Amino acid sequence: MFKQLENGLRRVFEKNSRHFSENGKLHKLRPLFEAVETIFFIPAIPAEKAPFVRDGIDLKRFMSIVLLALVPPLFFGIYNTGYQSVAASGGELRFFDIITSGLFTVMPLIIVSYVAGFFWEILFSVIRRHPISEGFLVTGLLYPMTLPPTMPLWQVAVGISFGVVIGKEVFGGTGRNIFNPALTARAFVFFAYPAQMSGDAVWVAVRDAGTAAVTGATPLAMTTLTGSFNSLEAMLQDAGFTLTRLFVGNYPGSVGATSALCCLIGALLLIITGVASYRVMIGGIVGLLATSFLIGIFSSAPLNPWANVNPLYHLAAGGFMFGIVYMATDPVSGPGTTVSKWVYGFFIGMLTVLIRVFNPAFPEGVMMAILFMNLFAPLFDFIEIRLHMAKRIPNV
Amino acid sequence: MKTVKVKKGWPFKKIAGKPSLRTVSRPAKKYVAAMPVHIPFVKPRLLVSEGDRVKIGTALFEDKQNTGIRFLSPGGGILEKIVYGPRRVIKEIRIRLDDAEAAESFDSFTASDIDAMSRDILTGHLMNGGMWGFLRQLPFRNIADPEAKPHAVWVPLGSADPFQPSASVYLKDNKHFFDLGIKALGRLAGTVHIAWHDSGSKPKKNNPDVQPDAQIDIRRDIRPTHRVRGGFPASDAGVVLFHTKQSPDENRDWFIDGQDVVLIGKFLQTGVYPTERTVAFSDGTAENSCHITTRAGVRFSDLAAPETDIAHPLWVTGGLFTGYTGSGDNFLGYYETSVMIIEKSHASEFFGFVRPGWSKLSNSRTVLSALSSRPLAVDSDMHGEERPCVNCGYCAAICPVDIMPQYTYKSLYADEIEDALGHGLLDCVECGLCSFVCPSKIDLTDFFISARKRYHKELQQGV
Repeated sequence: MFKQLENGLRRVFEKNSRHFSENGKLHKLRPLFEAVETIFFIPAIPAEKAPFVRDGIDLKRFMSIVLLALVPPLFFGIYNTGYQSVAASGGELRFFDIITSGLFTVMPLIIVSYVAGFFWEILFSVIRRHPISEGFLVTGLLYPMTLPPTMPLWQVAVGISFGVVIGKEVFGGTGRNIFNPALTARAFVFFAYPAQMSGDAVWVAVRDAGTAAVTGATPLAMTTLTGSFNSLEAMLQDAGFTLTRLFVGNYPGSVGATSALCCLIGALLLIITGVASYRVMIGGIVGLLATSFLIGIFSSAPLNPWANVNPLYHLAAGGFMFGIVYMATDPVSGPGTTVSKWVYGFFIGMLTVLIRVFNPAFPEGVMMAILFMNLFAPLFDFIEIRLHMAKRIPNV
Repeated sequence: MKTVKVKKGWPFKKIAGKPSLRTVSRPAKKYVAAMPVHIPFVKPRLLVSEGDRVKIGTALFEDKQNTGIRFLSPGGGILEKIVYGPRRVIKEIRIRLDDAEAAESFDSFTASDIDAMSRDILTGHLMNGGMWGFLRQLPFRNIADPEAKPHAVWVPLGSADPFQPSASVYLKDNKHFFDLGIKALGRLAGTVHIAWHDSGSKPKKNNPDVQPDAQIDIRRDIRPTHRVRGGFPASDAGVVLFHTKQSPDENRDWFIDGQDVVLIGKFLQTGVYPTERTVAFSDGTAENSCHITTRAGVRFSDLAAPETDIAHPLWVTGGLFTGYTGSGDNFLGYYETSVMIIEKSHASEFFGFVRPGWSKLSNSRTVLSALSSRPLAVDSDMHGEERPCVNCGYCAAICPVDIMPQYTYKSLYADEIEDALGHGLLDCVECGLCSFVCPSKIDLTDFFISARKRYHKELQQGV
């Protein structure tokens, strides 16, 4: 059965290959044909130069592992989005209803993101005559997972278009972008459509037409509530946001980024397989905890309720874990040298807390922190490479 | 004895068909050949022509850049054919062997003769005897400059690549030749370092493959100056030098493989051009993979066991990571001491990237075979298409001489040769590991090799 499918597909590709060949009518769409074909068949390409044995890993497998690591937060996100939606509309919390409601909210976001993004990917591949890169499989999934469930679909498409074109392709495509394309896309919609991206009304999608938007404050938005010094923990408790609940992630928020627990499961897979850097992740968590701890010690005035909270709340609330595990570890936009990875992660954690605490305009800080550190990654690399070169015994 | 530990590199344990220490004899049948094209940096000028009758040790060609450096015939008989490649490079000088081969005779020496003779005479003798080519010079790995006086000469014994001959096999019965060779090297360079790669595995006492007298205790009998631990390519002279050097003066050290030291000793003592070679052979099976005593310039197909059966054979000589490929009709090169047959890349793989990878060889942990130590059959497939570099850092994590290949590659891409040199381009030992691990399938090593060659050319023209 499996073998038959394989042979059948092989025939389909062999038969249609001529249309995309040098003289074929669809020659221009060759990258698309190749992209589809190589999803099914890794082509037999002999190693022409030594070494004559090559590692079994390729970029497809590399990116597939990231996708696999995204499965826990995605599944949880679908469940959570559905749960919040059903709960808000007062329906009965049946598992089936929750999942269907979640799927109906989340899947359109993902599908629109993939379709719009791949349109640009294919367009650029065809014009520039390079193969379609697998990196977009990850970008196209990361981006919708960071969006609020009520996001209009056309805005999703505009955002991913910006992310792919301005965030990546203008720099020359995969491997040359300085910012993480998924975050670039999110930053674009964040500033372009603030009404759909922030505030208390966007985080719960209610599917019954006609109902008004449901207010569901995210825990990080608690900063904007009036509160007395040292009272945030009590306030969060009153609102039902226990540390455990924040950690598990069943609260209103973006589609796939609320669960620190699921991100940790994904992080574990990424670290065990060696696909993403544990240095960035641990550096980020240490930076976040250390900074919030220090701020807690030294802030005496009621700056902001988030200044004096147990550092673990910073870790569990909002999208920090999602950002540090999946976004900050993007190897292209992050640093490539060892020490720089620790520093880069640490600064992301630090900046996240600083933005959350000192900038009342942004309840969430991780997106800005990562984009800002993306900008500094080449500088970190430059310094570390220079230091590394200075240590070598010269050989010229 | 200093211990040098090389932390980075590749364990090289999971490829099936490691040659056993069992040694069989397979002589050359009918033909032997010299392969000038596979001697890097040499521009050959022929000294013979088709139809000539040659003896063992007759000079076949010399290097145009240094006419003293000669390469001699590995067999006696009729020079049947000279095969040219593109742009008239000489690929192969093929000799049909006589039944009774004649040999040129050279002077023979004893240990005390070598002590007494001048360095120049010894140099001239080795050059005339076709031995000089075995001595190579870092960092470019070209043939050593006879005029230069190196800081030291390195003799790697054994290899971290288990598909190369084991020192305990080629040193057996040859220890006196090896000692004489080392004495001669001592006259050429101030210091001789013998760097023994200790794989850490003790040969089993009751192993039926190994005759008791096949064993030579390298630590006791040879007394190496350095004991090298670590994965492939820790045994390479360039790697050992990188991890021991104190000053830039040492960058131009010479090196010569342990087996070639035996040849030099044999040549000096007997006065005959030595044609014996110990070759490690593997066809991926435990039964057929072994050591073979054969001769220089042997045809590959003469080495294969009759039972060898591979559907799409690709012959690799000089190591999977550093060598070159051919067919069974190719001949053993001047430096090469290993021959392997692997499966040629021939079929696309259905849903390759989502397969769990029980039988995929990978240095990464993205395949399930990472969980077991089972040896795996390999083929010459790239296992993926070329993609842009995503800066994953796999290459920097494995590079045995601490180059960060992804950045060096980008420097060279932008034509910043000074930057690349600063990164350590000349410390590169051309081991192939960065190309091996690259998930984007970029031929990093080949890129570096060509950059090094270009730089070498520039240096030569500058002088």
